[in-house]
Amino acid sequence: MENHLVQDDLNALRASAELRAVTDSIQDYAIAVLDPQGVVLTWNTGARQIEGYGAEEIVGHGFDRLYTAEDRAAGRPQTLLTEALRAGRAQDEGWRVRKDGSRFWADEVISPLRGANGAVQGYVTVTRDLTRRRQDDEQRTTLTVASVTDYAIFMLDAQGTITTWNLGAERAKGYRADEAIGRDLSIFYTPEDKAAGKPLRLLRRAQDEGRVEDEGWRVRKDGSRFWADVVITRVNDANGKLIGFTKVTRDLTERRRAEERLRQADEWLRLMIESVHDYAIFMLDREGRVATWNRGAEHIKGYTAQEIVGQHFSCFYLPEEVSAGKPERDLEIASSKGRFEEEGWRVRKDGSRFWAYVVLSATRNRDGVLIGFAKITRDLSERKRAAEEMAERARQQSVAAELGLYALQTAQLDRVIERSTQTVRETLQIDDVRILRAGESPLPGARTVRIHAPEPDAEYGFLAASASRPLTANDVRFLQAIANVVAIAMARSQSEEQLRLAEREAVEARGRSVRIQEALLERDEFISVAAHELRTPLTALQLKLQGLESSGGLPPPKGERLGAAVRQTERLARLIDRLLDVSRIAQGRVEMTPEIFDLAVLVRQVAEDFREPATQARAVLELQLPEKVEGSWDRLRIEQVLVNLLSNAVKYGTGKPITVKLEEVGDVVRLCVADRGIGIAPDDVDRIFGRFQRAAPIRNYGGMGLGLYITRHIVEAHRGTISVDSKPGEGSTFVVELPRLSAPAAAGRGNVSRARA
Amino acid sequence: MTGPSCGRTVLIVEDDADTRMALAEVLQDVNYRPLHAANGAAALQELRAATTAPCVILLDVMMPIMDGKTFRAEQQKDPALSEIPVVVLSAHADLDSAAEQMQAAGFLRKPVELSALLATVAQFCAQD
Repeated sequence: MENHLVQDDLNALRASAELRAVTDSIQDYAIAVLDPQGVVLTWNTGARQIEGYGAEEIVGHGFDRLYTAEDRAAGRPQTLLTEALRAGRAQDEGWRVRKDGSRFWADEVISPLRGANGAVQGYVTVTRDLTRRRQDDEQRTTLTVASVTDYAIFMLDAQGTITTWNLGAERAKGYRADEAIGRDLSIFYTPEDKAAGKPLRLLRRAQDEGRVEDEGWRVRKDGSRFWADVVITRVNDANGKLIGFTKVTRDLTERRRAEERLRQADEWLRLMIESVHDYAIFMLDREGRVATWNRGAEHIKGYTAQEIVGQHFSCFYLPEEVSAGKPERDLEIASSKGRFEEEGWRVRKDGSRFWAYVVLSATRNRDGVLIGFAKITRDLSERKRAAEEMAERARQQSVAAELGLYALQTAQLDRVIERSTQTVRETLQIDDVRILRAGESPLPGARTVRIHAPEPDAEYGFLAASASRPLTANDVRFLQAIANVVAIAMARSQSEEQLRLAEREAVEARGRSVRIQEALLERDEFISVAAHELRTPLTALQLKLQGLESSGGLPPPKGERLGAAVRQTERLARLIDRLLDVSRIAQGRVEMTPEIFDLAVLVRQVAEDFREPATQARAVLELQLPEKVEGSWDRLRIEQVLVNLLSNAVKYGTGKPITVKLEEVGDVVRLCVADRGIGIAPDDVDRIFGRFQRAAPIRNYGGMGLGLYITRHIVEAHRGTISVDSKPGEGSTFVVELPRLSAPAAAGRGNVSRARA
Repeated sequence: MTGPSCGRTVLIVEDDADTRMALAEVLQDVNYRPLHAANGAAALQELRAATTAPCVILLDVMMPIMDGKTFRAEQQKDPALSEIPVVVLSAHADLDSAAEQMQAAGFLRKPVELSALLATVAQFCAQD
């Protein structure tokens, strides 16, 4: 503003002497007009006051005498003129020299003066003495510097000794002013830098170049290091003589750390992204062209960075998706929603497909402007394959389980075998499946699995499958599962077979048993019928013989023969009776009709009947009987028992006494019939009272007499017992014990009288 | 039903000719008058034709044409005959219950012993 005014003034000056008077009156500014070579043409009052020269002393002389020796040596005055000419204006702040040689701090503005044709006609220079202001500034600066805490600002003398100190220096370096002032600046340097002569070198450069900047490690009072930005500036006195240096040090440790961290983080991120192998991580520009590429991308997609950077990312899509505009659509979604994510098919460089997990994220700068997309792609083919394999395996397992169920429900092995081969064929989609019989060998190249049969001589040994495609581990596992089903079916079939055999045997046994029963019934029936059939003719025979005998008989010896015939028919009749009794016992048709009677009386009667046969057998009957032994029994049956026992005794006890003893023991009546005859062999003792076995041949209870068998049954029907004590050669004692009041085993019957032979 | 009116007449109903004849012979020996019938039907005929009702009927059970049970039922339905006592004659094991069923006056088990036969018949025929 000032200068413009001056310019205007000068222009006016050229036209008007009055205006010269105005410039002359200006005292605060030294205003001079120079010719194009820098020779002073005019000199005003201000110039005389500031510079010390009178107009007469300076006009006609070069203006460079106003500059310091150093500036003149450096060509500074000419430089400023050239600058003014070039830029239309040159301003400079620096030392100027008065007539007396003293320096003052000046602000000088030089402007070119051009004629109407634009040619340079000279310069006008306006200089202002800033010394006062500078002094004020320095004072202010000192105060300011002293209070600055973020910068260590201090001065050094020409030798590098610390002469001033500020709060920032104290804070940054740890020294108080009294500790720092007077010491060499090298105390702030590391031993290495000191050894390398760095402090001195920096001072030299500052001295030579006016200023030096350095960034590096510095040492605090406590020995710790900090990263510093240091500016050392040469300080001259008014005469340009070196008087010292200012040093401004800034602690960059924090910034450096932050920068370092940022740099490191960036580096790590870069390294990480680059080294990630399993994920393709890369950037797309806004149009979808690949901008960056990492190892994972190379690994997954097959392109190198050189090949793909700059290409449109649609080359990763299936052709049909590209033509359907899917890549652009995906970018639009990412752009509008910030993110696009999907699982789908992608294409590798070699054209092969892979199942990919893709995330596309819009990337925006700080201002929200879209700069591109980050794309992360993962190859899920393996995972997808594993999932599919799992699904396939599950399907195969369920198929095998179904077959197993079928095998359990199906008894026929053939059908299980057929279904098994069919199942393998359908499930594995292969044609040649065979279940090999033991000893059969599979086709060459077929995959076989063993059928772990339960028996060594099993019908089938292997399951063989031939396929054009390689069978997977899953397939083989499936084959084994099917083989196991076959094994189970074989085991089942075998046990089924055994079961059937057992069943057949059981049925047969049952049949045999039924047949035996039928045979037994038939035999009993036969005995019964036979007895009846025998009786009828016997009736005629016996009646005729008895009739003959009773009608006076025949003369001897025919009469004796007739008697024998009668006895034989009577014996035949008794045998037939016994047969019928046995038949009845066998058929469970023995019926008891109890009545109260005196057993002692009955024994006496029967014994009396036997007196004659006994005499004939030269045996003496000895009776040991109580007066009276009353009880409730079937009289006829008990009589039968007595007859049987006595007839046996007479038969086998020939020539020896026979004892019949009757006694009461509590509620039981005991009958003993003892002979001293041949006795019974121990083996036969059991046999004669052994239980009647229907399957046994009838002859087994023939020999010893049907009598004992019948006797035993009669006694047992009275809920009594019969036993024998016998020694061969010493005789036998039969003991019958009967409850006095026996509840008959069989129901009693009516009152029709019996007429028994 | 016993008494002089029957005149020691005994009706033998028995299909087996030998047995029938044997029975008749031994009864004749002791002055009974046996009548013969080979089955129930013949027996009914015999009874209806007879001028004198028998003292007792000796009745076999199992016979062709008309068995003992049917004869007995017929006899009981005929008031002229129903009073004549019947002694069942059989080789069958459950003769006694059969006799009871047929409301017989007694039974004789085959083979029939002469003494038992005579004793039984004597119960129904008054000794002349």
